[in-house]
Amino acid sequence: MRLSPGQHRQLRRQARLKRELTAWLFLGPMFVFFVVFLVVPVVGTVWWSTQAGGIVGGTTNVGLQNFQRLPDLVGATTAIQNTLIFALLSIPPILIGALAISLVLARIGRGAAAYRFFVYFPVLVPGVVAGLIWLFLTNVDFGLFDNVLRAFGVQPVTWLGSDTALGVLAALDVWRNVGYWAIFFVAAIIGLPEELYQAANLDGASTAKRFWYLTLPLMRRILFFAIVVSTIWGLQVFDTALVLTNGGPGTATTTIIFRVWQYVFGTNDKVGFAAAISLVLIAAILTLTLTQMRLLRSRRGDD
Amino acid sequence: MSAAVEPRHGAPAALAAIAAEHARSRRGRRLRGLGKHAILIVVTLLLVAPFYYVVLASFKNSTEIFTYPPKLLPIPPFLGNYQKLLGSTGFLRWMFNTLLVAGTVTLVKVFMDSMAGYALAKLQLTGKRLIFLSMLILLMVPLGALIVPLWALVNAMGLTNTYLALILPPLANPLGVFLMRQFILGLPKDLENAARLDGVSEFGIYRRIILPLIKPGLVVLAVIIFTDQFMSFIWPLIATSSDDLQVLTVGVAALRSHGGADYGLWSAAAVMSLVPIGVFFFVLQRQFLARSLAGALKQ
Repeated sequence: MRLSPGQHRQLRRQARLKRELTAWLFLGPMFVFFVVFLVVPVVGTVWWSTQAGGIVGGTTNVGLQNFQRLPDLVGATTAIQNTLIFALLSIPPILIGALAISLVLARIGRGAAAYRFFVYFPVLVPGVVAGLIWLFLTNVDFGLFDNVLRAFGVQPVTWLGSDTALGVLAALDVWRNVGYWAIFFVAAIIGLPEELYQAANLDGASTAKRFWYLTLPLMRRILFFAIVVSTIWGLQVFDTALVLTNGGPGTATTTIIFRVWQYVFGTNDKVGFAAAISLVLIAAILTLTLTQMRLLRSRRGDD
Repeated sequence: MSAAVEPRHGAPAALAAIAAEHARSRRGRRLRGLGKHAILIVVTLLLVAPFYYVVLASFKNSTEIFTYPPKLLPIPPFLGNYQKLLGSTGFLRWMFNTLLVAGTVTLVKVFMDSMAGYALAKLQLTGKRLIFLSMLILLMVPLGALIVPLWALVNAMGLTNTYLALILPPLANPLGVFLMRQFILGLPKDLENAARLDGVSEFGIYRRIILPLIKPGLVVLAVIIFTDQFMSFIWPLIATSSDDLQVLTVGVAALRSHGGADYGLWSAAAVMSLVPIGVFFFVLQRQFLARSLAGALKQ
């Protein structure tokens, strides 16, 4: 039996519909959660940022006033400033340290597994627990740091004072994250084309030259990725600041998310500001993500 | 003739030079090898010292903790801190809650993500690119930046102070879909095409062909999700206020902020918190290290 063109088209449409439906059955469960608990909250942040009031008990629309007042809001600007300084203090040592460790770790024979285990272990420490652990390092009476100083006859230092606390928080982050990027870089280094290094060796290139003219240029995308992602993570610092210093002394370690949390659950009239700062953070993260994506898209073109 | 002689004469000299060069480079290599180990040992000690110091403190009583110079071996060990942690705080309950929530999220997500990844990798779907792109763009937005609308949403659903409040929002994270899609795209097509010709349904293909092939990827994904969940803090902190629902991180943070300083108890809590994840890491080292590489897969 031959089908008329109309019937044929209809059958094709039905088959197509069935395939689409099957695909949605597979994607659907995850997609629903993605929309409800990620897309909706991101859009919701925009709405909340135009409101004044508390998170419970109703709000009023104030348009863009929250954003206009944000620059004069000491609490908000301090938090943004602290977070940026934290990122600047923590990320360079994390990535440079990780790169240095990975260069050694990638070319080690015996004991590699053991080294990797120990280098990576701090990565698996929850921020809250890391904060607790660092209380034992920074305590003035019995902390590890000051005990080491005492052993060398040096005056003990107040580590969590208002000038130093943010730096200590950054150091904690270096301790906790250097292993993550070290392992990440090891994989990248192992994947680099061996022939180039053999050629460089034949040409008598020194270790430093090989690193500078081969390893670094070959890894520049990996490094850029690491810079972007570690910046995004750095902007989210919260747990360690809560446990180690509770945002203090004063507001010395009050970070963006710390301030958002205080505005929402510590007051009953600043939810709009909380959402406005959150939106600034989200915008920063999306900008970084999009930069990353654009760069990765261009890679097919220029390689 | 002379051309034949020359190498013969030259050969021993050249060989000797090469041998000397070899010996030198072997010695150099051994030295450099030692140097590398020295560097790695120093790095390891720096990274591990904080753990040792806290373990040490957890086996000391409150006067010993403050004693200078500190005892460097916990002998005889003081067990009072652990007794107090397990006997008079909710520690075991927090641990149970963490394992329950992290376990549930991991289990549900491994299935949902692999199914969604299959759809995005292999199935015909209008708007597939758009969906994928939106997941990619929102991949990095953390729960911490969404606490205002998320809390309001969960509250409106009547879920505050329930396990569901802890379990549902983390399910939205698209990282797993992404990883599964990459993984499935890398599989050879012959098997599933053959199955399709035999009239096997898409679900059959997913369950009988795709799932077994991506098992290593599923384990890595499970490790990633479980670890992130084990460490997560801000969402559980605000989603629950009842003591019975506190997860490990929230309970431990409460130990720190409520009541006076109890360093012995805090150190015991820190040590005990690391036991489960430490055991998992020891058993599944390769999968845990692959967690670090999941980022690279994004490219």
